[in-house]
Amino acid sequence: MTGRDRVLAVLNRQASDRLPCMPITMMFAADVLGVPYGQYARDHRVMADAQLKTAEMFGLDYVSTISDPAREAADLGAKIKWYDDQPPAIIEEDALFTDKKLLAGFKAPDLFSAGRMEDRIRGVELLRRRAGRDLLVEGWVEGPCAEAADLRGINHLMTDFSDDPAFIQDIFEFTVELATRFAAAQIEAGADIIGIGDAAASLVGPRIYNEFVWPWEKKLVDSIHANGGRVRLHICGNTRRIVEPMGRLGCEMVDIDFPVPMEQARAQAGPRQTLAGNMDPVRGLRNGSPETILQSLEELRQQAGAQWIVAAGCEVVRDTPHDNLHAMVTFAQTHTALNPAGSTAGLDGKEEIP
Amino acid sequence: MAKSEELYNAILEGNAKRAHAATEAALAAGVPPMDLIAGSMVPAMDEVGRLFEAEEYFVPELLLAGRAMKSALELLRPLMTASGEKLATRIVIGTVKGDLHDIGKNIVGSMLEGSGFEVIDLGTDVSPEKFVAAVKEREPQVVCMSALLTVTMPAMKTTIEALTNAGVRTNVKVLIGGAPVTSQYAKEIGADGYSESASGAVGLVRNLIAAA
Repeated sequence: MTGRDRVLAVLNRQASDRLPCMPITMMFAADVLGVPYGQYARDHRVMADAQLKTAEMFGLDYVSTISDPAREAADLGAKIKWYDDQPPAIIEEDALFTDKKLLAGFKAPDLFSAGRMEDRIRGVELLRRRAGRDLLVEGWVEGPCAEAADLRGINHLMTDFSDDPAFIQDIFEFTVELATRFAAAQIEAGADIIGIGDAAASLVGPRIYNEFVWPWEKKLVDSIHANGGRVRLHICGNTRRIVEPMGRLGCEMVDIDFPVPMEQARAQAGPRQTLAGNMDPVRGLRNGSPETILQSLEELRQQAGAQWIVAAGCEVVRDTPHDNLHAMVTFAQTHTALNPAGSTAGLDGKEEIP
Repeated sequence: MAKSEELYNAILEGNAKRAHAATEAALAAGVPPMDLIAGSMVPAMDEVGRLFEAEEYFVPELLLAGRAMKSALELLRPLMTASGEKLATRIVIGTVKGDLHDIGKNIVGSMLEGSGFEVIDLGTDVSPEKFVAAVKEREPQVVCMSALLTVTMPAMKTTIEALTNAGVRTNVKVLIGGAPVTSQYAKEIGADGYSESASGAVGLVRNLIAAA
């Protein structure tokens, strides 16, 4: 099986030869290629080289165009601070919608305006061309809560939920419309799956998540599906209190960050949801040893059940020892999920997977 | 200790207008500013911290409570300055150089302020030189540093080195925090403490000050 076939088999709940391995690499990948991260984030050709080299060197099953949260915001005119060797950051004190009134009538730019969104679309195109059918190709968009935080300023957005709920609906509508178009262009360019990064959603708690965030995430997931794409939902941080509704969005794959016990994620997201994760990137993957990593992954395998993809909870930290990432991949290469799809045991040990 | 239930409840509810009005009413009734801080604000922010730890409050509720607390504090500060009253402990806080993330730092700052400490917020992307200058000029007892990115964590180490080189390291306790930061890293770089949560940071400052 190729990496692409392997991941798609799991996402389709079909038999795979072994566990897929899809840790997020960004700065780590730039370091593997030996380029400053500023170049990686600015130039899709550099990113593609780094992603393909990293996938080949470590035996990963996919390549991704995730780089930083500022792609959409930069094209919309938000002020960005660039660094030579770390991800660009949005300058919150000059956030685009510091004045909420600016949202009304704001026109999002063309995706193909030679900006940072086009660079990612070209990156998907190039990765698709170079990876062929060997590796899964992942596009990426910011989710409604994360993009709204990028445009409004996260400190303001957090109090807007209480102060001005109508504005929240307006800005989420704006971000989902943009994300839908951006995702569609990446699907058109050859992305097998679209990652939705909605980091800020882990900060709001279940009441606000269910009332405000979930309906717009659902709309985005449904739109990506309608455009022929698959979805990987990635919410950084502690999602313990929202993992159940995350499992009801209909995403093909839900990333679980390390603060959530995998056992709990499985119980709450249900047996049919494909979960990815969730080794602690710093304490487990970077600071651990190949032995401790193999041990932790076996514990995760026991908890994750049938529909599982090996990954760290969030981005692989740039100075992670190569032997440690090799150990993670070796684990995936030598194990199958418990009661994997296609086995006679089925998802919950009772029924055969259709 | 005189206590304003109204102020306590307003902070818990994150209602800044109500907190402001309650403070005005309490002052008009002759309650001393320090009693309002110790009797209402500190217990309210302690409870906010407890609710956050218990995952009943989340970041929006913390920020609203912090805003309500500050609206009360704005009324009290000029009165305290006029009467020569001072908060016992001064803390300098900032996100380290190269890092623009501030929500964690803001929450910790707010919790510390609401716990009766004087907090000087240096903002984000704070260079080691700025931390050193603030320690020299403002003479705090505690310096708190935040980083969200693994790539900016080394700036915590260089800031501690800068404090040492400037001869002021022993004047302050240095605490660090942020998603990728660990207690192991705190030990490695010679920080005095690490906390993984805002209310943990408050407890840490209280313990360090009590032990000093």
